Amino acid sequence: MIPKIASGISGLDELTGGLPDNTMTLVYGPPKTGKSIFCYQFLRQSVAEDDLCMYLMTDYNLSQLEAQMMAFDWFIAEYIAKKKLYVIDTASGSVGATQKEMKNMMISFPQNPTDIVSKVIQELQSIYQETQRFRSVLDSSTTLFAFNSPILMIRVLKSYTMRIKMAGGTGIITYTEGAAEPQIETMLKATVDNIIHLDGEEMTIEAMAGLKHTDIGYQITDAGIAVG
Amino acid sequence: MAVTTDGLRKTHIPMLDELLGGGMPEGTSILFTAMPGVASDVFGYQIAAERMKNDGDLCLIYTNTKAPVEIEHTFQRYGWDLRKSLDTERAFFIDSISPMMGVPAIGKYVVNDLKDSENVVKNAIPDVAGGTAVIEDVATLLDTIGVDQTFDLIRQLNEAARANDVNILYLFTRWNYEEAMIERLSGIVDCEVKLFSIEEKVIYRQVFAVAKSNWVKTSKIKIFFEVMEPGGVRVFIPKVLVTGPYNAGKTTFTHAIAPNTVSVERQTYELFPTTVGLDIGHIDYKGFSADVFGTPGQERFDLLLEPLGREAIGTFIVVDSTKPETFVRAKEMIRMCRTEAIPKVIIANKSDLPNALSPEEINKKMALWEDVSIVPVSAMNKDGLDQALDTLFNLIYRV
Repeated sequence: MIPKIASGISGLDELTGGLPDNTMTLVYGPPKTGKSIFCYQFLRQSVAEDDLCMYLMTDYNLSQLEAQMMAFDWFIAEYIAKKKLYVIDTASGSVGATQKEMKNMMISFPQNPTDIVSKVIQELQSIYQETQRFRSVLDSSTTLFAFNSPILMIRVLKSYTMRIKMAGGTGIITYTEGAAEPQIETMLKATVDNIIHLDGEEMTIEAMAGLKHTDIGYQITDAGIAVG
Repeated sequence: MAVTTDGLRKTHIPMLDELLGGGMPEGTSILFTAMPGVASDVFGYQIAAERMKNDGDLCLIYTNTKAPVEIEHTFQRYGWDLRKSLDTERAFFIDSISPMMGVPAIGKYVVNDLKDSENVVKNAIPDVAGGTAVIEDVATLLDTIGVDQTFDLIRQLNEAARANDVNILYLFTRWNYEEAMIERLSGIVDCEVKLFSIEEKVIYRQVFAVAKSNWVKTSKIKIFFEVMEPGGVRVFIPKVLVTGPYNAGKTTFTHAIAPNTVSVERQTYELFPTTVGLDIGHIDYKGFSADVFGTPGQERFDLLLEPLGREAIGTFIVVDSTKPETFVRAKEMIRMCRTEAIPKVIIANKSDLPNALSPEEINKKMALWEDVSIVPVSAMNKDGLDQALDTLFNLIYRV
């Protein structure tokens, strides 16, 4: 039996038992198909289980994340106050914001993967002192692909995935289909353990240990992604 | 290349000048190869900043990963004033990042297409004749303009630097490139300094070493460093912790591996004399150098364990092989030293006694949550010490 952790998406968890523990999952699809909502639900599950979560955000800052989750009646203020959330924010970095960094709130820059990975490693050092089991979110790799050589980004995501898994994490990386060349997408898929495709109507589990290729219908509702 | 000790230009990086025989001959190139996550920019910036300040160097910074303002902030955080040098035109940027980000470029020179980097930088090098050039980051060049073009660029820039007595410093984040390519890259520069991590599940220490140099014989010496804000690169002497339950023989073991150990102890009037302070010693072993700290084993000194563990790069946990009832306490001490995340070796001491348990039996009895090497030792008879040191240093340096 493969140990699983709940994704927070109820229909999906009932079907698969959750995401395999200590693996990296790619969630990809066209724009507006619920990839970020998938991440919010994963974070919400992290809140529910009191797990630590490392959240690398490239398109919104922490207060925007909080607001977006609040639209679904999901609240993370207390979770943040308890220092359970570790943020690396490259969205603020891209507009030149500088602020005092804390060990769980860091700013980085989308065009500087060396700095991003170095911040990831600094946060992992703190996380590893607390727990050997945590979650991670990278939403979205698309932005990083836009700012860097795609082949360099593949190297960076490999390094990122290796670091997260070595430290005991289970993570999600999102990616907008078509943002990079097909051969880069193939390499991206080879970097992760599990692959979930969203097209707005169907969720396809393209790869996951112990599971066949599976299609399931889904909708985006007031309560997030509803499967089945 | 001529071997000279005078006329060398200081890097102002502690210990690096010593390893390089005094510094860099003028007009030479240094490649800083860093594992992802290990700070490399600070090496380039520190050399540039300190040379501008102390030696009156002119300086250029070519960047394709950091916006010039960001580099200025970074200098500031380390405590170096780049603004003044920019204002007085003692330093300038070659900005090849702003055009890509769609923001106005800052710098004396602008590169709109990374392919033009070679020509622009080559033409800019005479502007800093006798000074320093920082090129950041080689990885972006390799993956954007290609390997051959990048090699060509480095060769051309090295030539221009040599002709103008400029010391050229390349910063390179070593992602998962092919080993053969990295070796070839090392072959086209005068000197390579490798920056790498010491890790156990997570990176917890950074080390540098001179991997290659055209002007001085390289040794295998590895220098532990940390990056201070302000301050830049600071080196430190690694600490090895010796811990374990009461009366396991920690002091005997510490004295055996570090014969000059001083015991800051007071004799207690108990059945056995015991350490109530610290055993402090130093080992130099096969090119590795470390301070050794032996802790007391009694529970009332547990408060000392955490701060010592935080500083340590490796731990010996000494247990008495004849006393399985103390193993629970040993496990508890591993946890309290926070040494889960640093390399550790269990020293099965008193292995010469007839009722000593074997490493396999100890492993089973301790029921550890991961594989930990267990080395049978008799600290009293000085047996098994080399194996103990080899095992720990191999774990630390992954040699």
